[in-house]
Amino acid sequence: MWQFRFPTWIVLDVLGLLVQTALFPHVFPVGYVPNLILPLTVIIALYETPRRGLVAGLVGGLMQDMWAGRLWGLNALTYALLGFAVAQLESRIVRDNVFVPGLLAGVSQLLVMPFQWLLLYLFGLAIPWSDFMRPLPVWLLFSMLVTPAIGGILGFRPRHEVEKKYSRVAH
Amino acid sequence: MSSFIFRWRRPIIIILVIMVVSLSLSYTAKVRGQVVSFSNIIGAVMSPASASLTFLGNQAGKGISTVGQLFTLQRENAALHQQLLLYQSMKLELSELNQENSQLRGLLDLKNSASAWKLVAAAVISRNPDSWFQTMVINRGTRDGIRPGMAVIVPQGVVGRVISATPVSSTVMLVLDPDSGVGAQDVRSQAAGVVNGRDPLSETLTFQLFSHRPDISPGDAVVTSSYSQYYPSGLLIGQVSRVSKSAYGLTETASVVPAVNFNQLQDVMVVLSHPGGATLPPIYGGGAR
Repeated sequence: MWQFRFPTWIVLDVLGLLVQTALFPHVFPVGYVPNLILPLTVIIALYETPRRGLVAGLVGGLMQDMWAGRLWGLNALTYALLGFAVAQLESRIVRDNVFVPGLLAGVSQLLVMPFQWLLLYLFGLAIPWSDFMRPLPVWLLFSMLVTPAIGGILGFRPRHEVEKKYSRVAH
Repeated sequence: MSSFIFRWRRPIIIILVIMVVSLSLSYTAKVRGQVVSFSNIIGAVMSPASASLTFLGNQAGKGISTVGQLFTLQRENAALHQQLLLYQSMKLELSELNQENSQLRGLLDLKNSASAWKLVAAAVISRNPDSWFQTMVINRGTRDGIRPGMAVIVPQGVVGRVISATPVSSTVMLVLDPDSGVGAQDVRSQAAGVVNGRDPLSETLTFQLFSHRPDISPGDAVVTSSYSQYYPSGLLIGQVSRVSKSAYGLTETASVVPAVNFNQLQDVMVVLSHPGGATLPPIYGGGAR
């Protein structure tokens, strides 16, 4: 199933970054442009094992870092840990296709921002906290709406469901 | 031993990942050049896709952007009113200067130096994916004579400078970027200093003044100074909105509202060459020349 393949993630990340760098700046004002790697990482990791979730986040974050051309590792570290955490949670929560991805993406966005602020601070970019957190409402709303939408459009489903479907077809 | 590794494989993998990433973070925090040029290559490879998406965004996003900007519209309106006042006074000043200039030129029998400005028009095709780093990719590169270090301007003022170039595209660091620094001076009092980018969200730049007790007040226009390493002198950067003492009260800093609206940046001009001295590029002054 293509949903669980590594190249799929890369294609999705490239498309996400393209939209984020070329299309979104026309819609959102400077500084408020939301991130698409976070929703992608959450929706991919939600149906993955922790290790594969970590890899998915690492790949997405690393691509954003290389695209940005500044601090290599800022987003890689953030999203690798996020992917791992989401995939860890996955086995412990009841899953549906709308509310859980949305809620998880919202919580992730809430946690990611202070973490990135801290990383930027540690590596020499001290942005005032109040300025840094200003786009949070916009980004929160965005990730909570977009994550289930991406999952729905791409038809992401749990592995066992996908495999069961295949076995049913085979019989 | 192998069972130990197997048992603790998850924490080990995570710790390894964190270590490698931290190393790369601290390395790239120090080394800038190669990292930027690599991202510029990505920008070049992706430029056809970016350019077409940007075109779509330009067409379709015009309506949507109004909704997106509802949050900032009121503030922007107030800022625009202020800018308008500034421009009106500047226009007066400019026309006076123009007249004086042409008289002096006539006296000196020099040819119009405005023609010596060489500009290349370029379209913005993508922005940086991280919102606290403000760089953008434009669709012209070394093939059109663009080199790193060249200034990028629009009729409203200074946009930034080219930091990396491939044959077909270049990366421009905006004056908003936290790493950007522009030699600048107050038009009224000639107080000199450096305009640093702060972060795009505060929508202001920081004007760090050299002198201990500088003559600067809100409303002053700030332009690039002749000490500036990359920029031609006399280009408008913005307007002083607030003056404050820095920590320990040793120096004064001013907040500068940039003259350029970075939300609606579609076409920019790269300054390939410019005459020395205090002449303004031909795109300034409402086409008076």
